[in-house]
Amino acid sequence: MKKIKQQMRVWMTKNMQLPADVMMDLPRITMIGQLHIYIENHRGVLRFSNQELRLLLKQGQLLIKGDQFVIKTILPEELLLEGRIDQVIYLNE
Amino acid sequence: MRNNWVQAFKGYVRVRVDGAYPERFLNRCIEQRFSIWKIKRVGDERIVFYMDIEDAKKIRPLLRTTDCKVTFAERKGTPAMMRKISLRAGFVVGLAACLAIVLVLSNMVWKVEVEGASPHVEHELRQVVTEMGIKPWTFQFSLPSVEQIQRDVTEQVSGATWVGVRQKGTTYQFEVVEQKLPDEATRVSPRNLVAKKKAIIHDIFVEHGQAEVKPNDFVEKGDMLVKGEIGKEGKTEIVAAIADVRGEIWYKSEASIPLEHLFTTLTGESKNRHYVSFFDLNVPFWGLRSHDFEQVQEFNEQKEFHFLKWELPIKYIRKEFRETSSYNRTYTEEEAIEEAKRMARVELVHRLPEDAEILGEKVLHEALENGKVKLKIHYQVLEDITSAQPIIQGD
Repeated sequence: MKKIKQQMRVWMTKNMQLPADVMMDLPRITMIGQLHIYIENHRGVLRFSNQELRLLLKQGQLLIKGDQFVIKTILPEELLLEGRIDQVIYLNE
Repeated sequence: MRNNWVQAFKGYVRVRVDGAYPERFLNRCIEQRFSIWKIKRVGDERIVFYMDIEDAKKIRPLLRTTDCKVTFAERKGTPAMMRKISLRAGFVVGLAACLAIVLVLSNMVWKVEVEGASPHVEHELRQVVTEMGIKPWTFQFSLPSVEQIQRDVTEQVSGATWVGVRQKGTTYQFEVVEQKLPDEATRVSPRNLVAKKKAIIHDIFVEHGQAEVKPNDFVEKGDMLVKGEIGKEGKTEIVAAIADVRGEIWYKSEASIPLEHLFTTLTGESKNRHYVSFFDLNVPFWGLRSHDFEQVQEFNEQKEFHFLKWELPIKYIRKEFRETSSYNRTYTEEEAIEEAKRMARVELVHRLPEDAEILGEKVLHEALENGKVKLKIHYQVLEDITSAQPIIQGD
């Protein structure tokens, strides 16, 4: 049942031109060069240090690597990270 | 996004969290919707961030569940600043007092300078001025305006013809022009006397020179009256002619006066309203009740405040509403003619030299048009008609 619902959503997004982040609770990531990264729709901080930030998503995790990390703002679903960003990696379980 | 100003106003605090897993504490904070920012990891088991003072009071239960230790490192924003200020109250009070003193002293008179006056006149002026209250330690706004001072001082100082008053910051400068008595009559150079105007000679008194005309003679402008030459033919001598020749001159003047005239006069009743003006925005603070006069005239008076040499954008303005009443003056035709004659005469006397004498007047023409009486009057006037004509001596 859950799988059907998920497939339904994928189909709707593709065919009805609805924004994917809204339909499927995906993270929306905005980056400004290497300086800033702005992540919406996250589900909490798993690990935060100067070199990495690991975020929980609805499905899987997001790993950001770099240096001199500072979390500028953090709200229940939004996060603004500043520093030198080298990598953004999706971890799927 | 967060508003820095609001945050700074409410006050915020730098928090240090120690624990094996401080991320859990962060997540709890977010769930509680506490606003936190500038999160930084400074060690293996330590992160630092900023949060609102209000939220900082509520984090105690979270610590127990997340197994973290919290230290408040530094308070910032208005509340913290107020605390610092109250710790240094003496300093702040001193600073405020200093500003206040400078402000008060900037609005006082500190110096009275007098320029261009002899010691005697300067002494007199200083006395008058001190009596008016222009002396050190007086507030400037308790003094009349510069124009008023100038008028009063010029009137009261007998030794000066004119006194210019200038206010330069806290200094009042007085510039004095003293009366100078004319020098003794200088020796006049050789000259003839000629007629200044077309006239009939009335009487002639020659002090020096040779009269060329006699009473009842008619002279044109420029005609010789007294010749600056004495002695017999062949043995003449050139002198400066001095004489008093009075001639009868005719003047024509016109006067017109309306039969009806609306006058506005002050009744003497008045009401004051006081304003404080910030950047040209007038805020009334006293005498707010409106006057119940039917007709009014408004008079404004304003005083500026100074800080050192700058004019502050704060002004004190006094508006005076003076009651006026108007009345209609109506003349009959005869009265209007009388009045017009009187006016024309006054005007003529103004124009004539002091020793002139009006012998007679005659109305040439009178007319009533558009509610106005118009007169043409002819005057016979007796006055000195001499005018000097230097004799240029050849070799």
